[in-house]
Amino acid sequence: MAKLPLEGIRVAAITVVWAGPHVTQLLAEWGAEVIRVEPINSVQRNSRGAENRMTREQAIAAAVIGGAGAPSWPDYEPGDDPWNRSAAFNSHSRNKRSMTCDVMSPEGREAFLKLIEVCDVFIENNVPETIEKAGLTWEALREVNPQLIMLRMPAFGLDGPYKNYRGFGTHVEGMIGHHYLRGYRDADPSYTGDAFTADGIAGVLGALAVTMGLRHRRRTGEGQQIEMPLAQAFLPVLGEFILDYTMNGRVTPPQGNTHPSHAPHGVYPCIGDDQWIAIDVATDEQFAALCETLDATALASDERFAGTEARWLNRDALDAALGAFTAPREKEQLFHELQAVGVPAAPTHDELEALADEHLNARGFFQEATIEGIGTHRYPGMTIEMANTPNEIRLPPPKLGEHNEYVYLDLLGYSRDEYESLIERGLVGTRYTPEALGEG
Amino acid sequence: MAGPLEGIRVLELARNVAGPFAGNLLADYGAEVLKVEPPTGDPARLAGPFPGDDPHPEKSGLFLHLNTNKRSITLDPSTAEGGDLVRRLAAGVDIVIEDFAPGQAAQWGFGWETLSEGRADLVMASITPFGQSGPYRDYLGTEITLQAIGGPLINTGHGEKEPLKLGGNVAHYHAGVTTAFAVMAAQLRAELDGEGDYIDISVQQCQAGFRDRRTIFVTAASYTGTARNRPVPGARLATGVRECRNGYVNVMAGRSIDSLLILIERPDLFAVVEPDVPPNQQPATVIETLETAYGEWLMEHDKHDVIARGQELRILCGAVLTIEDLLTDPHYRDRDVWDTLEHPVAGALEYPGAPLLMSASPRAEPRPAPLLGEHNEAVYGDELGIDRDELTRLNAAGVV
Repeated sequence: MAKLPLEGIRVAAITVVWAGPHVTQLLAEWGAEVIRVEPINSVQRNSRGAENRMTREQAIAAAVIGGAGAPSWPDYEPGDDPWNRSAAFNSHSRNKRSMTCDVMSPEGREAFLKLIEVCDVFIENNVPETIEKAGLTWEALREVNPQLIMLRMPAFGLDGPYKNYRGFGTHVEGMIGHHYLRGYRDADPSYTGDAFTADGIAGVLGALAVTMGLRHRRRTGEGQQIEMPLAQAFLPVLGEFILDYTMNGRVTPPQGNTHPSHAPHGVYPCIGDDQWIAIDVATDEQFAALCETLDATALASDERFAGTEARWLNRDALDAALGAFTAPREKEQLFHELQAVGVPAAPTHDELEALADEHLNARGFFQEATIEGIGTHRYPGMTIEMANTPNEIRLPPPKLGEHNEYVYLDLLGYSRDEYESLIERGLVGTRYTPEALGEG
Repeated sequence: MAGPLEGIRVLELARNVAGPFAGNLLADYGAEVLKVEPPTGDPARLAGPFPGDDPHPEKSGLFLHLNTNKRSITLDPSTAEGGDLVRRLAAGVDIVIEDFAPGQAAQWGFGWETLSEGRADLVMASITPFGQSGPYRDYLGTEITLQAIGGPLINTGHGEKEPLKLGGNVAHYHAGVTTAFAVMAAQLRAELDGEGDYIDISVQQCQAGFRDRRTIFVTAASYTGTARNRPVPGARLATGVRECRNGYVNVMAGRSIDSLLILIERPDLFAVVEPDVPPNQQPATVIETLETAYGEWLMEHDKHDVIARGQELRILCGAVLTIEDLLTDPHYRDRDVWDTLEHPVAGALEYPGAPLLMSASPRAEPRPAPLLGEHNEAVYGDELGIDRDELTRLNAAGVV
């Protein structure tokens, strides 16, 4: 059994919302020591959810309305410290440590620079002007630690017209064309709904970037800045559509659930409310097997659906006709029946179905973690399995400032008096200040 | 500059999107990636898009995009001699990436057990729809089916319509970049203390751990016992995609009623708002008044003006742009993000350039995708030392 591959790497993180914290999630999972640097005298919005000043009833109402930011505390109960109970935060933060530090204050800046001296990597995903205002650019930090690898993840870039544009993943994916092309073919873009795909891609690419920086440093002793805008990190995912434009001047129209050559290809209704099965047919053999499984002799013998090209040209008619055959079927049963005859198909799974998914559970995907005072819950586990490196959640999601003593006293060498003085001045603690919470 | 991954040798036995994207990221940053294609080529060569919609195996956009900076050899891995060649090639690399069905590589003589014998430092990744274990291990999976059973597909789209997949091949690109991270993390350890590893990548599991909503919503379900729905647009005050004068914008204007009313220049409406009530829980008449005013304001403004003003007010926002808007957008032109690569058959085309910029170890100078089997002679002849007669025989036998 081998040690975790990133053991011995220490990472400082001033990351917010979804993308930056995913980079550090992956690094922490595979062995790095990740230290979150968080203020207590202001609230990082959309990160621990401390700005969600809702009652339990309001939180339940917000969840019904939907939207990615609706707070989901255990049993919707905000408790006395909702920022330690946020599902969005606790979904990524296992294995990480939390120190509180306001890098905008002289004392906080001093502590942060001491931390940078003993870190290998620093990751941030703030608006570029924030890091500039804090004086924490690469030019400044390289003076403190020339071997540092600094990963910056602005939405659009450290320069250019959109430099200081703020956005979540959903805004970024709109600006780079993904929202438009994944829209319904029969409805305008207001129907398409949010997706945060740019966060999901950049979160992993950032972790790869750090490993590349580490390798360069191992060979040369050199640190560096890595600039990875969310928008730019997503461009490879659009490669074939970008090339269609550069080859043919074609602007890919909204694709809905269609495929460039397969039909049927889509999600089809099954028994129950909002129950669907995804089906993807590439060949005549698969189509014959699909029709036989569904007892759809009318489809099998229909001239419009004879051959791959005919099916694709008549895909809208085919989708409508096929839906009538899937509608009386139970999605899980149909899934197994279609797989048995070699037709790629799978049911949609909502989050409760995901937690009960027999395959993910057989692979041991979900893992339990216990947070003191909050309880034991199951969490999504790791995307990667390494045969010789069994891996599990090592530390539960950290409460705000949970590792202050470890960082200030053990790691940075502050005396107990110096540390107490930072607490007295409201710079270090385990609760947001009343002013930060708007209670001052 | 050769890039930060200089000296790492990768054998890519992978097709379509996920494995080739992993290889592509490594190649772009300096790894030496040898792509092994079946004699008929990577199926991505048939996927298109093609110039003039005229199919040609050297002109497929998907293939050209995903295989820059690689070398290509052909080999039929299902033959005994092909399997032997794979073993010989694997002996000379640091990382192997393959995407055959579970057990297939082992059956053909180049599974992990075989390749890792005497090679404690080897890193190998297998990418499959459902992974190497579990009850669905032998099930088929494609982009849309794996998004459905693994990812946030059920949450995407409109509450009163069918759920929508994410665009293109998102799940497979995501599995590809996950593979690239996994093999590099393992490679760092292998270089340090000689311990390689076998990495099992399941595209479904990548979707289950996808940061695009899935892990957040699954944790929320674990906390609350409730699943998320597909939101109906308009459910949240002045939030989401709305029509404006010349297109569509996505503005989170209603998160704060204060900034909404400043944005639309209607301070008079402060008078109708209930204090201390969250925006979405305001009385219906208030919401209607604010929505009407917001909608009218949008129809008087162009998309780029809406977002410029929103950004000035620090409101999270963007516009819904097309691929053409993207390729003509001055922001990316100013930042020089596009590469023009001259391919001997497909010609000069513009590609997505560097996804990230490294100040001390920039990516390798981009080279266009290889022709099918372009490096057969160099690899089989010069590197494996197979003589010309033997190569001719293997060729005739359909092995290469």
